[in-house]
Amino acid sequence: MDPYDSQGSTSRRRTSNLKDYFVGATPLQKRLESIRRQSSFFPSPPRRKIPQGTELQEEIDPQKVGFLLHKQWTVYSLTPLYKFSYTNFKEYSRLLSAFIAAEKQKGLAVQVGEDFNIKVIFSNLVGVRGTQRDPEAFLVQILSKSQSSREHREGRVLWTGWFCCVFGESLLETVSEDFTCLPLFLANGAESNTSLIGGWFQKTFDCCFSPLAISAFHLSWMAAMWTACEMDHYMATTEFFWSVPCSPQSLDISYAIHPEDAKALWDSVHKTPGEVTQEEVDLFMDCLYSHFHRHFRIHLSATRLVRVSTSVASAHTDGKIKILCHKYLIGVLAYMTELAIFKTE
Amino acid sequence: MDENVAEFIRRSILKIPLCEMKTILKAWNFLSEDQLQTINFRQRKEFLAQEVILMCEEKCARLDDMALLDIVCEDVDLFDMKWFQCSFKKILQRALRNVTVSFRVDGKNAVWIRIAWGTQYSQPNQYKPTFVVYYPQTPYAFISSCHLKSNVPLLHQALKVASKHHQIVQMDLRSRHLDSLKAIVFREYDQTFESHNSTVPLQEGNLGLDMNLDSNIIHENLEEKERIHRVTQETFGAHPQPQLEFAQYKLETKFKSGISGGILADRKEPLRCLIKFSSPHLLEALKSLAPAGIADAPLSPLLTCIANKKMNYFKIRDK
Repeated sequence: MDPYDSQGSTSRRRTSNLKDYFVGATPLQKRLESIRRQSSFFPSPPRRKIPQGTELQEEIDPQKVGFLLHKQWTVYSLTPLYKFSYTNFKEYSRLLSAFIAAEKQKGLAVQVGEDFNIKVIFSNLVGVRGTQRDPEAFLVQILSKSQSSREHREGRVLWTGWFCCVFGESLLETVSEDFTCLPLFLANGAESNTSLIGGWFQKTFDCCFSPLAISAFHLSWMAAMWTACEMDHYMATTEFFWSVPCSPQSLDISYAIHPEDAKALWDSVHKTPGEVTQEEVDLFMDCLYSHFHRHFRIHLSATRLVRVSTSVASAHTDGKIKILCHKYLIGVLAYMTELAIFKTE
Repeated sequence: MDENVAEFIRRSILKIPLCEMKTILKAWNFLSEDQLQTINFRQRKEFLAQEVILMCEEKCARLDDMALLDIVCEDVDLFDMKWFQCSFKKILQRALRNVTVSFRVDGKNAVWIRIAWGTQYSQPNQYKPTFVVYYPQTPYAFISSCHLKSNVPLLHQALKVASKHHQIVQMDLRSRHLDSLKAIVFREYDQTFESHNSTVPLQEGNLGLDMNLDSNIIHENLEEKERIHRVTQETFGAHPQPQLEFAQYKLETKFKSGISGGILADRKEPLRCLIKFSSPHLLEALKSLAPAGIADAPLSPLLTCIANKKMNYFKIRDK
């Protein structure tokens, strides 16, 4: 799908559904939001709250969610799950294990002595949501069963996938009780396992996965938002990657800027306290483009932005993200949830 | 033999370093193989000189022969492959004890060296060798990456001493293609800055446009296209570009902008940026940017100077 097409359609959608997310929306704000939803004729400039790192209702245990950081996740959007229940995790684990074993056995290249001793575990992901109204996130893991009798713990983790909804409940159309809305799905592990498990979910809960590509437009927004986040110290440089559509040879340009300088540039551009506006994002990117053009006389705006990376997180246009900062985990997931929801509508 | 000739030859011999004596006498090609065999090259130079003079007398050395010896001594380009290999190997072995050094002479122009690195206590690792290609007629050597960075100064030292140079300087030029590096360093490509074969400007008539549109617009586009094409040709030349994979620029320059003013206006510090261009064939890709409308023509000198300056790693600061 042409990224520029989706940009056009989602920006129209966003103006009608957009809501500032903060904890505890007042009744007035809710009313305003529903009015804005109805009046989709007046596109207001999109604006988003800068993640403060304090959006959590429940305290996320850093130990429990530490494994979510510093890993590359392939992101999908998911339609609501039909008749899914949080109390049936044991049952689901059993069914999915059996399904995977069966699929692998009837599969083609089976190595002699291949270990089919895998175990599937469903579990709750406590705290990975925006408000109490968001459905709770859950995690699916495939582990290899340890052969050694000495070890009581499970074996290696082969594949991880998790489902969540962060500040999404207010954006979604109200659905019946039978449906659970967890529009954001993230997977790490072999692609074959992802399709297998995705297939099982689709059959079992009558839902639909689709890969979540991230357009250059949204990548720019992410870069601006994450640069706007306050950081005690920077762990990574701020970096952008462009792919240049020239022929016959491809050309890739990577532009890394010291995170303190990126922040200084952002602070100079930034006017509205606590929020990021479209104009600010455009100006921020234009500054980077013009600095580049001054030296190289190349128009980066004519090329394709494919990846952005900051100390908060990194995102690739193919729908891959890596979250680097525990403090802003919820903030990053909130943006991704929004993208996932608009993809499915 | 003339006295003056004998004296001159004696003085020449005394000036020659002992380690080069055999090479020079051989290169002189005046004394026969047998005679050279009998000379004791380990004795003191005074005695050696006397021996040589006696042999020259036997062969009736003349002024021409004396002059030739002088030329051979003066020949600073006299490169002794054996001596080079020997001293290169010695330097590495003295420092590391366990090191495998192999040589291959490629025609007359190049010597390929393979070095497998060990330490005082461990055997050389044959799976991670470093390769060096040295062109004795030139001041250039090409070195592949060294997996143990601590060996690099030693390698440089060995090269410097064995090749009898005073200094070795690492250039900011890296690529996977040795041929491209050679092409750039030895200027084997043809980069012209003044083009005498200017392309014939496109005529409107050639396009067969018979619509009566605003021909001025079309003409301007054509002119611009033609200008871009011409400028690109001038900068890059009409020949195939040497193949490089990347160019890297470390920028520390202040932000200056024509956009709505005042951004970072008060900031004295520069923006610290690192910009990297990568491509299977970088120079060809850069060449295609202006005609594609992605870049202005002429392209920035920071990009067009790569081949000319023999660099693909740059540090740019405000002046």
